[in-house]
Amino acid sequence: MSKKVAKGEYIETDTGNKVSRRSQIIGTTNIILGGKTVIQAEVIIRGDLLRTLSSSTGDKSSGNPVAVAIGRYCFFSRGCELRPPGKLYRGSFSHYPLKIADHVFVGPSSIIEAALIGSHVSIGSNCVIGKFAIIKDYVRILDGTVVPPNMVIPSFSVVGGRPGRVVGEVAEGEVDGFDLREVYRGVGNS
Amino acid sequence: MSSKRQSMMPPPPKPPTSLSSTITIAEHASLIGTHLIAIGSNTVVHPRSKLNSTYASITIGNNCIISERSQIGLQGEPEGEERDGILIENGVVVEVGAVVEARHIGEGCVVEVNARIGKGAVLGKHCKIGPLCEIADGEVVPNFTVVFGNGMRRVDRSGIEDLKLKMVRRQVEILRKLIPSKPDKFQ
Repeated sequence: MSKKVAKGEYIETDTGNKVSRRSQIIGTTNIILGGKTVIQAEVIIRGDLLRTLSSSTGDKSSGNPVAVAIGRYCFFSRGCELRPPGKLYRGSFSHYPLKIADHVFVGPSSIIEAALIGSHVSIGSNCVIGKFAIIKDYVRILDGTVVPPNMVIPSFSVVGGRPGRVVGEVAEGEVDGFDLREVYRGVGNS
Repeated sequence: MSSKRQSMMPPPPKPPTSLSSTITIAEHASLIGTHLIAIGSNTVVHPRSKLNSTYASITIGNNCIISERSQIGLQGEPEGEERDGILIENGVVVEVGAVVEARHIGEGCVVEVNARIGKGAVLGKHCKIGPLCEIADGEVVPNFTVVFGNGMRRVDRSGIEDLKLKMVRRQVEILRKLIPSKPDKFQ
């Protein structure tokens, strides 16, 4: 039997993450992937934009500082970008960690600079999520939406437009549609 | 990886560059083309940004921030005045994915995510072009204009331009510590 393993598109890690070989992930030691997450080609994740606030206490935090923390069963489509947001706070500029919960789907070519994304969120293609936006659970963001900086999107809303406004609510029946386990299983190494 | 296939095309031309000694340019930034690319002091060029001087030269001022996936440079044959090249003044922030083909971008402008600035356009000082907004070819945008939404504009009379420039300078200081710079690759 031939022992040659075909080089697939994805590298699969121990925890089941499928990372494309053509993704551009910078600062990998500062990125936490929950498990069973799919990262497609040409995705950029900026793990090098760390928090640079001077710590007032003497004790050092154990391990690496986290720039991007991603939950389980997330799906990052081709060409999207995750970037920790930064702002000027009390005279000094610093980046803040980007936290993404489970079952988050990000459409192709979307750019995420949010502070916090809740679970079961579906973001369309070509979206722009502004700095420090907070997206709660079970939100659907339509294609081409521009979510302005600092916006807080309540749970179960449908957001669209430029600037993004809440245009509807997620119905009871649609709630199961956010689950990404089937999508994860569908990603193969072809 | 010995099984990595090499590209058959010749590598893109390395442009003549005039890089200031204090710039921060990431290793994976892409500078291609044949005309001169001049970058002023304290500027930060993020990885995966594309500076293309195939059709015209590019001049970038001091304290600028060029983010990932942004494309600076004419994408097609210039006609008329565009041959002079692209001039970006000091303190300009070009965000992720923006496409800048403008002839002149004034001091302190902010070009937001995925905006497109057409050929030969002239942006005044301290303008802000919102995300996904487009400026047509040859358009002249007056100073302090904010372009947002679906082509709406307003003029910013708040008078805080100096504070905004200061903010950009702070941001540049922090980015210089975070992004390892490799200017030798581009010299």
